[in-house]
Amino acid sequence: MPKKIAFVTDKGGLDDRIYERFGRAPTFTIVEVGDNGEILSIKVVENPGFKAGSGAGIKAVQKLIDEGVEIVIGPNPGPNAYLALQQAGIKSISMLGVTVREALERFLSGK
Amino acid sequence: MKRLVVTGGKGGTGKSFIATNLAVLFAKKHHVVLADLDVEAPDDHVLLGIKELSNREEAKAFLPFIDTSKCTRCGVCAKVCDTGAILMPPKGFPVVFPRLCSGCTACYYACPYNAILKGYHVLGYSYVTKHPSIENLVLVTGVLREGEEHTPPVVVNVKKRAENTARDLLLIDTGAGTGNQIAISLKDADLVLAVTEPTPLGLHDLEAVLKITYEMGLKTWVVINRSGLGSIEKHVKTMKEYNVEKYFQVPFHRDAVDSYVKGVPVVEYKPGSIVSKSIYSIYTETENTLYGGGND
Repeated sequence: MPKKIAFVTDKGGLDDRIYERFGRAPTFTIVEVGDNGEILSIKVVENPGFKAGSGAGIKAVQKLIDEGVEIVIGPNPGPNAYLALQQAGIKSISMLGVTVREALERFLSGK
Repeated sequence: MKRLVVTGGKGGTGKSFIATNLAVLFAKKHHVVLADLDVEAPDDHVLLGIKELSNREEAKAFLPFIDTSKCTRCGVCAKVCDTGAILMPPKGFPVVFPRLCSGCTACYYACPYNAILKGYHVLGYSYVTKHPSIENLVLVTGVLREGEEHTPPVVVNVKKRAENTARDLLLIDTGAGTGNQIAISLKDADLVLAVTEPTPLGLHDLEAVLKITYEMGLKTWVVINRSGLGSIEKHVKTMKEYNVEKYFQVPFHRDAVDSYVKGVPVVEYKPGSIVSKSIYSIYTETENTLYGGGND
């Protein structure tokens, strides 16, 4: 079964670095990965939490839900986003200071 | 009923100091309801020497509850929620985050299946306290609950209670800043007093608040508290830009501090002080303007 993994990003794309904030990140880079770790598709979506007046974490997680994301890789989520991710059943993995490509490789190699 | 609002933008300029002293002076001739709408840090009762607030009521705001027998999981409620207080998870029913809810009721009206039940949460409290010794003075106080994010609904609630209590003069003391709650406090004012101080910060925040009263078309005068601390040249220039017709100066003087320490308004503590006299002149001018004068 292919998996949709979201990366918390600024401009988006495989060479962008993981953004430092979760709910207020400008974009999510959603990578669909096949059973053998091959990349099936890459999509950059705007995060509605970026411009939200309040509830950025919830709005960000809602976007991930609507996109069918199962795993999100980025900074530690804030308290609201954390609760929302739990409710949504989306797994959150902390990774910072790397590009999306590096983060994906690390994730796939199980590190 | 007349409405006089004391505001100022910057915190710590003496809004409550001016408001409580004016309340005491007005109460000699008028029935005064002083509304402390600085709900994040209400302290007019301390300045008036009121030990205990009474007649507590809850300041409630709407909070949605989901009727799971009617909910079809369409997700409309989560989409219309401006504050992000409703999450539509992939499985199960919508999840409400009470802390984020501002009580706007958009979800209630948007739900096509009437599956939103009207509940409420308590954001704060209001109190109506008669002054123990000044017969004509009633204090209405708003208190925001610790950790609450939404100030405006509490201010609306407390202001309503003050309006229902007032019959001659409603004197409103606003909080600091220029947020939505300040505009709510200012609305329908007959006269606004913007309290500032002769410092760059005082100047900066005075302009911020004058922009609002100007936009709202409210007659505004300025009170420069702690006068003597610094230059007011730029303040006066800014006032001209915003059509402020009149300004007052309250001197930076020990009597003001002493009255604070005693917990007694300075106009009662030392009526002969130059501080009290300057506040008295604010009182006569505002009273004249609000009530037309000539009644003495």
